Amino acid sequence: MVNFTIDQIRGLMDKVANIRNMSVIAHVDHGKSTLTDSLVSKAGIISSAKAGETRFTDTRQDEQDRCITIKSTAISMYFELPQESMADIKQKTDGSGFLINLIDSPGHVDFSSEVTAALRVTDGALVVVDCISGVSVQTETVLRQALTEKIKPVVIINKVDRALLELQLTKEDLYTSFLRTVENVNVIIATYFDPTMGELQVSPEKGTVAFGSGLHGWAFTITQFAARYAKKFGVDKSKMMNKLWGDNYFNPKTKKWTTKDTDAAGKPLERAFNMFVLDPIFKIFDSVTNFRKEEALTMLEKLDVGLKSDEKDLEGKALLKVAMRKFLPAADALLEMICVHLPSPLTSQAYRVAGLYEGPMDDECAVAIRNCDSNGPLMLYVSKMVPTSDKGRFYAFGRVFSGTVRSGQKVRIQGPNYTPGKKEDLFIKSIQRTILMMGRYVEPIEDCPAGNIIGLVGVDQFLLKSGTITTSETAHNLKVMKFSVSPVVQIAVDVKNANDLPKLVEGLKRLSKSDPCVQCFTSESGEHIVAGAGELHLEICLKDLEEDHAQVPIKTGDPVVPYRETVQSESSIVCLSKSPNKHNRIFMKAMPLDDELTQEIEDGKITPRDDFKIRAREMAEKYGWDVTDARKIWCFGPDTLGPNLLVDVTKGVQYLNEIKDSCVAAFQWATREGPLADEVMRGIRFNILDVTLHADAIHRGGGQIIPTARRVLYASTLTADPGIQEPVYLVEIQCPENAIGGIYGVLNRRRGHVFSEEQRPGTPMYSIKAYMPVNESFGFTADLRSNTGGQAFPQCVFDHWQIMNGSPLQAGKVQDIVLGIRKRKGLSAEIPSLDRYLDKL
Amino acid sequence: MMKCVEEGHSIVALANATPPATLKKEEMDSYLFQTVGQTFVPYIAECMGLPLYQQEIQGSAIYQELEYNETSGDETEDLYKLIKRVLVDHPDISGVSVGAILSSYQANRVSHVCKRLGLEMHAYLWQREQKELFEEMLSSDLEAVIIKVAGIGLKQSDLMKSLGEMRTKLFSLNEKYGSHICGEGGEYETFTLNCPLFKKKIRVTDWSSVVHSDDIFDPVCFAKIEKVILEDK
Repeated sequence: MVNFTIDQIRGLMDKVANIRNMSVIAHVDHGKSTLTDSLVSKAGIISSAKAGETRFTDTRQDEQDRCITIKSTAISMYFELPQESMADIKQKTDGSGFLINLIDSPGHVDFSSEVTAALRVTDGALVVVDCISGVSVQTETVLRQALTEKIKPVVIINKVDRALLELQLTKEDLYTSFLRTVENVNVIIATYFDPTMGELQVSPEKGTVAFGSGLHGWAFTITQFAARYAKKFGVDKSKMMNKLWGDNYFNPKTKKWTTKDTDAAGKPLERAFNMFVLDPIFKIFDSVTNFRKEEALTMLEKLDVGLKSDEKDLEGKALLKVAMRKFLPAADALLEMICVHLPSPLTSQAYRVAGLYEGPMDDECAVAIRNCDSNGPLMLYVSKMVPTSDKGRFYAFGRVFSGTVRSGQKVRIQGPNYTPGKKEDLFIKSIQRTILMMGRYVEPIEDCPAGNIIGLVGVDQFLLKSGTITTSETAHNLKVMKFSVSPVVQIAVDVKNANDLPKLVEGLKRLSKSDPCVQCFTSESGEHIVAGAGELHLEICLKDLEEDHAQVPIKTGDPVVPYRETVQSESSIVCLSKSPNKHNRIFMKAMPLDDELTQEIEDGKITPRDDFKIRAREMAEKYGWDVTDARKIWCFGPDTLGPNLLVDVTKGVQYLNEIKDSCVAAFQWATREGPLADEVMRGIRFNILDVTLHADAIHRGGGQIIPTARRVLYASTLTADPGIQEPVYLVEIQCPENAIGGIYGVLNRRRGHVFSEEQRPGTPMYSIKAYMPVNESFGFTADLRSNTGGQAFPQCVFDHWQIMNGSPLQAGKVQDIVLGIRKRKGLSAEIPSLDRYLDKL
Repeated sequence: MMKCVEEGHSIVALANATPPATLKKEEMDSYLFQTVGQTFVPYIAECMGLPLYQQEIQGSAIYQELEYNETSGDETEDLYKLIKRVLVDHPDISGVSVGAILSSYQANRVSHVCKRLGLEMHAYLWQREQKELFEEMLSSDLEAVIIKVAGIGLKQSDLMKSLGEMRTKLFSLNEKYGSHICGEGGEYETFTLNCPLFKKKIRVTDWSSVVHSDDIFDPVCFAKIEKVILEDK
C-alpha cells in the first residue's frame, strides 16, 4: 500500500533539513537489494509479506534471473522518526517527517561505475557487510569511493541469521566477529580524515553500526536496546549505549558495572553486549529452532512482542522470521539510523561544495551550493542516463545542488569539456519535463528544489553521459566523476547482416550513453570496439546492445585487453628530429617515471592543476626530482592528465615558448598512440634538451612542429629500452577449504599468483587473494566453478599495470603480442625502424 | 605578378635562383628559395614571353636572424648577384616583385637586396588574410599544382593536385593544427601551369614522385617533373 502521494512528497522536498539522500553500497551478494526491500516495505510501496522475496529495486529481467543488481535504482521513502529519537539528531531538523531518497547500487565490481554515479547524487551511504565474509575487496573499493566523494557512511552487518543458524557461533565469537568487521571498516575510513565532515569512524556505541538480517527483515542498533534498558535501569540512554559495547561487564549479583571480565572472586562475567543485546536474540533463535515453542512465546510476550493468533500457529523458520521481525523490525532500526546519523543536503553541501564545484568558492553558484539554496541559480549534476520505454531516449538522472529545476525551464547544458566563457560543449535548451524516479515507476512532478534527486526529460541528446545543468551564465562545471574501474577488456563487434550497420552504430551510441563506464569507439582499422570493466560487464553490455539498443543480430570477436607502452631506461642517445622544412630541430631523451609517481598521477594525487611550486617541492622531496626541472613540466598526457610528463630542461633557448602549444599537441597525440602498437603510453618522462628554431615564427608553426615533436617523442621512446605493460586483476575468492586445491590449479594455468590465503575467523571459509593478468581472465569464472564444484566465486578488479619481461624490439613473446596488436589494428606488420623517427645532425 | 600588372606595372624580366648544377639534386632545403620544379622555370618564361635570368645558389643560410646583415657566403648574396645581373640588361627597371605573404625572413632579405640596388620591393600579397587570398587565387584563372609537401597531414598522394582539389584539406589542416593555408610556413610548394599572364599554358605529361625524407609521419615528398608540353590557349 502506498502511504504517500506525489503531492505529499513535493511538500517534503522543500524541507531540505529533513531530506536524506543515501546510497546502499556493498560487496556483491552481501544482501543490499534484499535489505533495501525491507526498507521499501516499510515505506509501503510493496506489501510487507513480499519483502525478502521480491527484489524491488532490480527492475530488469536479467537482474531478477541472475540475482545480482546491474543498474542502480532510486526510490523515495517517507519515515516518521519517533519523538524520543529526535533529540539524537545533531543537525538542523524541520519536524519529524523525513524524506529518504535511497539508491540501491550494484555490488559486482564490474558495475562499480554505477556506484560512482549513485554516490555523486547522495550524501550518505549505508554500507552493507556480510557478517560471515566480512569486509571484502568491493566493500573496500566502494567505501573508498564514498569517502572520496565526501559521503558519510553508516554500517549494517548483515546476514547475522546465518552466523546463528549455520555457523552456530557463541555469543562471544559473534561479538569478536562484529568487532573485527567494525575495525576493518574503520581502518579504511581512517585514511580519509576530513575535519569538515565531523566524526567519520563508525561505532556501535554511537549508533552508527547496525546488525541484522535483511532476508528475515530484522535489525537493531545499540540505540534501541539502550533505550529499552535506560528505562528499566533508570539511567541516561547515551550512558547506557556506551556500556553496551566494548569491554563493559555487568555483575548481576552486585548489580554493578565493571570493565573487568571477572568478578571479585575471579569468576568470569558476561560482556554487557552479550548479556543484554545478544542474549534475547540467541534465546529466541534457540527456543524456536529447537521447537520449544512455549518458551519462545513466553519470552516474546516478556519482550512486548505481540503476535497475532495465526502467527502463533507458525513453526520453525517461519515463526522465527515473524518473531524477529516484530521484535526488531529492520526498517525502524535502519531508517532511524539513517535519519539520525546521515547528513541532510543542507549539512553535507556545506563541506561538499569544495569537492564538487570547479569554479571559485565565492561565486554565486558556489555560495548557493554551499547553502543548498532553492532560490539561487540552478546547479544540477546529471550523473547517469536511464533508458526510457521510448527506444533510444533517456532520462537524465541527477541531483539538484542549488536552485529549483522545473518543467519548461530554459537551461544551459554544459558537457564535461565546457569551459566558462566559451561555446564548446554547451547547449541552451528547455527541459521538457521533470520526473520523480521510483524503482520501476516514474511520476511527473512540477518542479524540484535543491537537495533532491530528479529525472529530466529532453536533455539526453545534448549530453553524452553526464554533465552540469545550470541557469547561471557564469557557472563553472560540477566536477566530472572519477571512476574506480577502468575499461580493461575490449571486444570488437560487428553486424551479421551488412545492412544492419547503421543500426549498430546508433546502438553503440545508445549503449555508451546508458552506462557510465562503457566505452564505444572505432579503431583505426574500422572495427567497432566496446570496452568494459570485465567479462560480466561486457556480457551485459553486448546483450543490451543486441536486444535493446541496436536490435539487430551481432557477432563479436575474441575479447582483448589494452596494453601500455613504457620505457625501462634512459634513451641511449640524444634523439634529434628535424621539421619537414628542415629548418627546426628538437633534441630529446626519454626516461622512466618512478612507479609510485606514475600511480599518484593516475590516482589524481598529482595533477596539472596543482600549484606548480608546491608540486615541484613535493616531487623533489618524494621522488628526487630537481626542483627547477619539476617546475618546468610542460604538460601531462595523454588527455592532459595521464601519467607521462613533458619537461623543458633547455637552457636559454630563444622562441621556445612559441612552440609550446605545438609540442603539447604532439605530446598528447604521441602518448595516446605509442610507437610500438598505437597503445597508450605510461610512466615516461620526456626531456626536451635543446631546440634550434627558424627565426621567423611563420616557419615554425604547428604544421612544422607537431610532426617533428611527435617523431622525436617516438625516437626517444624507441631508444629507451621500450617495454609493454599488461593490466592485472586483483582476484578475491571466497571458498571452503576443500576448494582451495582447485583454485590454485586454475590460477597457475592462468599465470596467476596467490599472495594471501586467510581463514575468516570463526568460519570454515577461506579468503584467497591473487594477482592475475586480465588477458588470462576470459572464462575464468566458469573455469573456477567447474574446478571447485561451484564452490568458488571470484571477484576481479583491475589493480595495476605489470611490465612484461622481454623486449618488443627482439623476437619473442612480447614482440608477438605487439605484432598481434598491430595486425588487429591494421597497422604496418612491423614496428617502423628507428631511422624514420630520427634525423642526423 | 598578376597584382603588379593590376597596379599598373609592366613585367620586363623573370629572375630565378637554381641549385648548383653540380648538386644533381632538386631539393636543397634552402631558407630562401624554392628549388623544386626549377628546371621547368624556363617554360614559364616562354609562356609569358619574357627573358629569364638564372643564378646558381652558391651560398647557404649563414645569417639566420630575422633581419638580414650583409654576409659573404649567404644565399641572400646570390639573390643580390642575380638582380644585379638583370639590372645590367635592364637599367630602367624600378622594382622587384616578390610573393611573400607572411615570411618576414624572406621579405627582409629581398628588401635588403633591393635597398642595396636602389630598387623598390613590391610585395602585393604581404600580410593578406590567407583564406581570402586562397579563394581569390582559385577564382582568378590561376592554375597551380602542388609539387612538394612538407607539413602535417600532407601526403605523397597530394602531389600534382591543383589548389582547387586541395582546398578542403588545406582548410581543415589549418583548423586542426594551425598549418598555413597558403603553404607559407613551408608546408607545400607549387608550380604554376597557367594564369592570365601566360600566353601559352603548360601541361605536365610525365612526372615521378620522390621521397625526400622518409619520416614516419608526413614524409617530405616532391614531384619530379620529367616532361611538359606547351599548349596554345
